[in-house]
Amino acid sequence: MRSLVFFLRLFSWFSLRHIGKHWFQAMLVLFGIALGAAVFTSVRLSVHASLRSFTSSMNHIAGRTEKVLARPGGFLPESLVSAIINHPSVRNASPMLSGYVQHFGADKEPFLLIGIDPILDRPFRSWQIAKGKPRKVGMWLDLLKEPYTLILGGALARQYGYAPGEKIKLEHSRQTVDFRIVGVLAPENLALAEGGRLALTDIATFQEFTGLYGKIDRIDLRLQPEQTAENFQNIVSTLPPGVIMSSPSERRESGQAMIRAYQLNLSILSFASLFVGMFLVYSLVALNAASRRHELAILRSTGASARLLFLIFLAQGTVFGLAGWLLAIPISSFLIKYLLHGVSQTISTLFVRVTVEQLSLNSWEIFLSFMVTIFISVLAAYLPAREAMQVSPKEALSIAEHSEQADKPTLRLAGLGIFFIVLVWPLSKLPGYAGVPLPGYIATLLLFTGFAMLSPWILEQLGKALAPKLRRLGGMPAYLAGRYIRGSGNRTAISVGALITAVALFVSLVIMIHSFRQTVQLWAYQTVSGDLFATTKMGEVNQFRYPLSPEVIRTLTTLDAPVDLVPNRRYFLNYGKFPYEFELLDVVTFLRYGSYVWLKGPSETAIHRLISGDGVIVSEVFSNRTGLTVGDLFRAQIETSLVELPILGVVRDYRTQGGVVFYAMPHFKRRFHDPKWGGVRFFLRNRNQNLDAAVVSLRREIIEKCGDQLGMISGKELRQSILKVFDETFAITTILLFIAFVIAALGITTTLAVLVLERTSQLNTLYAVGASFGQIRRMIFWESILMVIAGETAGFLCGLILSYLLVFVINRQSFGWTFLYGLDLKALVFSLPLIILTALMAALPAIRLVFRQPPAMLLRER
Amino acid sequence: MRVSEKKTVIETKALTRIYSLGDSEVIGISSINLEIAARELVVLKGNSGSGKSTLLSLLSGLDRPTSGELKVAGHDLIKAPEEQLTRFRREVVGMVFQNFNLLPTLSVLENVCLPALLAGGWPEKIEPKAIDLLQWLGLGDRMAHQPAQLSGGEMQRTAIARALINDPAIILADEPTGNLDSRNGQLVIQLLAELHRTRERTVIIATHSNLADAFATMEICLKDGMITDTTCEV
Repeated sequence: MRSLVFFLRLFSWFSLRHIGKHWFQAMLVLFGIALGAAVFTSVRLSVHASLRSFTSSMNHIAGRTEKVLARPGGFLPESLVSAIINHPSVRNASPMLSGYVQHFGADKEPFLLIGIDPILDRPFRSWQIAKGKPRKVGMWLDLLKEPYTLILGGALARQYGYAPGEKIKLEHSRQTVDFRIVGVLAPENLALAEGGRLALTDIATFQEFTGLYGKIDRIDLRLQPEQTAENFQNIVSTLPPGVIMSSPSERRESGQAMIRAYQLNLSILSFASLFVGMFLVYSLVALNAASRRHELAILRSTGASARLLFLIFLAQGTVFGLAGWLLAIPISSFLIKYLLHGVSQTISTLFVRVTVEQLSLNSWEIFLSFMVTIFISVLAAYLPAREAMQVSPKEALSIAEHSEQADKPTLRLAGLGIFFIVLVWPLSKLPGYAGVPLPGYIATLLLFTGFAMLSPWILEQLGKALAPKLRRLGGMPAYLAGRYIRGSGNRTAISVGALITAVALFVSLVIMIHSFRQTVQLWAYQTVSGDLFATTKMGEVNQFRYPLSPEVIRTLTTLDAPVDLVPNRRYFLNYGKFPYEFELLDVVTFLRYGSYVWLKGPSETAIHRLISGDGVIVSEVFSNRTGLTVGDLFRAQIETSLVELPILGVVRDYRTQGGVVFYAMPHFKRRFHDPKWGGVRFFLRNRNQNLDAAVVSLRREIIEKCGDQLGMISGKELRQSILKVFDETFAITTILLFIAFVIAALGITTTLAVLVLERTSQLNTLYAVGASFGQIRRMIFWESILMVIAGETAGFLCGLILSYLLVFVINRQSFGWTFLYGLDLKALVFSLPLIILTALMAALPAIRLVFRQPPAMLLRER
Repeated sequence: MRVSEKKTVIETKALTRIYSLGDSEVIGISSINLEIAARELVVLKGNSGSGKSTLLSLLSGLDRPTSGELKVAGHDLIKAPEEQLTRFRREVVGMVFQNFNLLPTLSVLENVCLPALLAGGWPEKIEPKAIDLLQWLGLGDRMAHQPAQLSGGEMQRTAIARALINDPAIILADEPTGNLDSRNGQLVIQLLAELHRTRERTVIIATHSNLADAFATMEICLKDGMITDTTCEV
């Protein structure tokens, strides 16, 4: 205890006072670390809020369900309930139907309507009507007694201003009906699912409303205690063909896996800000260790152990980490306002529907961000601390300054750096582990470390090569800057390393986003081709489970407009835990107007066989995530049919909710069962007319003949919305990237400020031997130019390699897709000079520091 | 720049420098009246804090006085704008410091060339002169070395060469032997004396030691920032 008190006192005397004296640099470093920590924390907390909302929704809806009976892509016969409820192994069974509906006339944000048998459902889910007026016992029984009644979730009641007894008009793809509100759900258990945006109705009402007479989505089961595998098998054997028994956790786990993959990628990207912040801490602590060697030697000579000095400098790193993390709290609370909404919207658009109303402060996430911030700060202080502990007490006797200009092992360091960079190649070939692109991330870390290790050598060579030329270009200030940079050692190199990291991230993300966007655009124009897309109302949100009615189909096939129709049916299924779509379409008509972006497989033969119904083609994502490829057998239970078909080819597809398997619709109907039309895309036969006007006219004709029964979007709008979603998704990435840049610019400011302060005596000597203020300031400016050029050039190279890793390794391992690689030269040519300018602006505060100590200090007696 | 013989090269009247340290003020030098003729070798003596370094910083144009008059080699350093001060430091004075103050990233030869290059000189013309100086100072075989590879005496001789590269009329040396052993200290003082004698420079040496006494043509004693008439006791 006594030694701890002594340590804290010494730390306060030696370090805190020094930091206080140089508060400007300390504040810059703190701000950098705080920004990094804030970004990391806010991103993690935002994604965690979505993950928590999704998990809690799924758990509340599943309730106490132990097993679920369902038919992939289809419905169960309601008659199965009475059969299964009497099975000796089954304790309780409850049928359920659910789907998204919308409030007529109000905003078109869909909400979940759940159809249950209120009596059978009691053992499974807890819910009750909120206390209020009027209130009577058994109000919920009204659901059974009176058709078209419902109990509204609290969030919905508040949003639309409804009270019990009032009527609410709901829209579904089939019809629009008035429901009487029996009550409002008390905010607990099931009522908390979907953020309270749900309503409960009797299953019979649901069937009547949606036209699903005699059909149910699923049967939830609770089993008798101590069931054996044999009992399970016994239940399964009694099920009709195509009905499977699964655990309610499967859908939840597959959704969670997608959110977690997204969280990991955003975390890694946000960690880049902390990684860049680490360079700042290193820079300042290293300065303290180098510029205070004499003081350290005095401490050593007065009895301080080497270990004590090591701990003092390690404590400096800890203090920066701790203070930075504390400062991150207000920054996070600002950032999270934007991120919470942006992240949940992105997750809803890309993966699974989540409703996040408020932030949940997860103690693990907060602890994680604290530990990561402290860890990287301590890690950054480790090397300077080692340097400090090696100061000999003998140096206290020496008056002359100890410079750090002894031979540096730059070549050996560069060799090691190149070795790390070379290692990136074999690492990139390794597969990911459990959906986590671990080899890709390790390769990225090695790449950054390798280039950071190369930077002292790069600076040395740059100084050597340019110094003579710089004299001609910028006179003595430029020449001196070149000479200084050449021998400046690790401190300058560390700042250049930070810049390399930021530039590399920028270049690689620009290339990746450009490649991704271009490929998505190509895919959208080839595969999402069509002039008008029609499906049932709220088709997408209900996963196209409600087919078009025969009347609508008859109308659509007899339109006056000269169009070709490509009917389709999309089933949302799981391959193990991996979600995918099985899409049936009229391939022959589709290929007349559109095409696939082929990756694998002989396209001509594959197309011919696809048209003949000989097999399926799968998306790259499906192939990468399931391991199935050309020649393998695709096997799936789809409604009542067991489909077994060979895989003919692999194509690019960027649908976000998993993979896709394509098959010819007419052959499916012939070989398996009638899948019914889920939607139609229309192609105008006359391509030489004003297509926009023709689409408007076609849409008008459909509305005139079918009324308000269909959801329609023009092909042009659909493709534009795909690209809009794409751009919105990468808005978060852009913000994170921008923050990494701010921190890198702070790195430049800190390093140059440190270099100026450290060289006060040298700069004053220059002044004394005849250099003007202007010459010395120009010299500092040239130093920053050289650092920025070195950082940007090496960062550009590093970015090119990183972009390969992002496009072909990390994206493939994280999401299963790759893109057509393309350099966005326009963006790079425009933005790289801007980065140079920004970095040079960051040098200005350092230049202002020159001569804060008067040159006459040189002559002061020591 | 050469200054004609017998002419007063340094002239001060009531020269005062007061430093502000927070709320308090510290007198560096006070009311110094001084006339130094060309080709003198002046030894400036006094205890620590007596004002030697303050006076040197004013004479070298590194600092400006609080009040009084100061003329060095015809330059009025009170009124001189910053550009003129820079020219003055380049052309009129050469400085030698206790801590040598060589730039660690430059070689010995480059350190010596530096003031001339800063003044806009051509390297082709400066380098032969710097080589001559270094050879004269016995550093002919050390020209490509870095300062960290030199001994203290060698570093100070390099600093002297640097001070001479622009052919200044006045050499100002601040405790030039302070970081040297007695043998090297003696050597440096002899070099400065030789500069005074053979190269006809005005040399002002601020020092604690008595090494330069034998060569001095003038001795100034400072005490508490003022010139004292009594014998210096350092």
